[in-house]
Amino acid sequence: MLAADALTKTFDARVAVEGVTFELAAGEIFALVGPNGAGKTTTLRMLAGLIAPSSGSVRFRGEPMAGAAAALRAAIGFLTEAPGLWDRLTVQQNLRVHARLQGLPKPQQAVDAAMDLFGVRDRAGEPTAVLSKGLRQRVALARTLLHDPPIVLLDEPTSGLDPESARDVRELVLRLRHERRAVLISTHNLDEVDRLADRVALLNTRLVALDSPDSLRARAFGSRVRITLSSASTRYVDAVRQAGARDVREEGHRLSIGLEPEGAQLVPALVRALVQAGADVEAVEREEASLEQVYLRLMKDGGS
Amino acid sequence: MSGTRVLALLGKELLDLRGRPGIFLPGLLTGAIAIFLPILVAVIIPAVTGERLSDSADLQIALQLYRDQPWARLLDPEAAIQSTLFQQFLVLLVLSPVAAAMSLAAYSVIGEKQARSLEPLLATPITTFELLLAKVLGAFLPALALSLACFAVDVAAAALLARPGVFLALLTPRSIGVLFLMGPMASLTALTLAVCVSSRVNDPRSAQQLAVLVVLPLTALLVAQITVGFVVTVPIILLITGVLAVVNAGLIRLGVSLFDRETILTRWK
Repeated sequence: MLAADALTKTFDARVAVEGVTFELAAGEIFALVGPNGAGKTTTLRMLAGLIAPSSGSVRFRGEPMAGAAAALRAAIGFLTEAPGLWDRLTVQQNLRVHARLQGLPKPQQAVDAAMDLFGVRDRAGEPTAVLSKGLRQRVALARTLLHDPPIVLLDEPTSGLDPESARDVRELVLRLRHERRAVLISTHNLDEVDRLADRVALLNTRLVALDSPDSLRARAFGSRVRITLSSASTRYVDAVRQAGARDVREEGHRLSIGLEPEGAQLVPALVRALVQAGADVEAVEREEASLEQVYLRLMKDGGS
Repeated sequence: MSGTRVLALLGKELLDLRGRPGIFLPGLLTGAIAIFLPILVAVIIPAVTGERLSDSADLQIALQLYRDQPWARLLDPEAAIQSTLFQQFLVLLVLSPVAAAMSLAAYSVIGEKQARSLEPLLATPITTFELLLAKVLGAFLPALALSLACFAVDVAAAALLARPGVFLALLTPRSIGVLFLMGPMASLTALTLAVCVSSRVNDPRSAQQLAVLVVLPLTALLVAQITVGFVVTVPIILLITGVLAVVNAGLIRLGVSLFDRETILTRWK
């Protein structure tokens, strides 16, 4: 749907984004994650046709978008980091101006539908200055989706929102995927990425890693299994080593065992070995590193 | 160019102004001074001092100048001098829409940036020309409305307070030309200059300070009228209007080239 081809952006001598390449597919939630100053917003702005890349290109449905930024902007809904509403205008006025700027044939109908969808109809006549942060974000989201764009770029969509509002936004993002829209989220909230994203790009001026959250986990930490015993695990370490485990960590009543690729077949043998050694096995579970751990590891290693 | 997009943003500009009545204050103050000064000089001071304007040797030139105009021969000497003074100060009334336009336009781009509403606006298909045109019109139309209102008050004040027939001096082709050709063109110059500057600076005051340059030639015109008896005739008004129209066309082109979306989005903090 939307592709970044070796996108590079420099501001004078400073390189903000370098050689970033990825594709965003319909019905996909793609997360862009990285530290402050990593080039996330610059990448979003290039994708949205707001600024031109220094080199590389943006393609929309296979066509290069150089010189057709206005057409690209019409196909994209871009939620900027700040809601950027006109404070003195009412909710309805804000949306109506944007509906007309987008050239919608029936602007009021689109505005009414957006206000209903985002639950702000009862606040339609209020200036946006008096709304809470969560409501302002809802209005900004309504504005972003007013023209029914096939591509949605969201810059920090849940930043500063209360848990309930953040949940509403996450539900909306899932709904957008269900509607087969291509969604790109830039965020620092790794828990949110873990819950939503089909693929994650770690960006630090250059792409550090790009894959599904599970694949990134396996890449950073490998696959591990955690076996909980009823007593101290120390005396059973030899038993699991003899059964084939090489990377064994003792954690009180638990054993954390690293598995080689295709190592899931080893798990029954490990359990048998423990039972034969007299251990009472209470639980066997796959051990998952948090995405935060994965992020920190991959950023530290530079993606290697 | 899309008229729908220009009208949409223009509508937003006008709605936005309703919430900022204070922004009209410089224009209103200038208008009030421009209306009050001729009343003070031509009506109040003679009434307080008991001296007739037509007895003043300094104003004989004005009387002679005015008597050259056929319709003014019907006026008595006192009314003719009052007419001259009301007409001379019309140039000052031109400063009212100029001041209003400067206040409005200086906030146009910077206000969007400060409210962080410029990026969502630039993310729509609107072109730079459409955006600047809407911004210019959004300041120009209220300034023009203010100008009309001030002129109506000025004519009413002349009709009520000055000698009979004096207000007709404000309805001559020359007066109308000053107010409705030269005035709007000067306003347009001030506000296109302010919009150009506000595209490049972060502070509305900087934009206002630079746009104030437009006031200088107008003030010089007023001073020349009063001190050396320079008469702003209809051809002169047309000439000034033409020159300003050319300057405005150039400024709008300059504004479009100066409005660098990338710089505005990435360098403004």
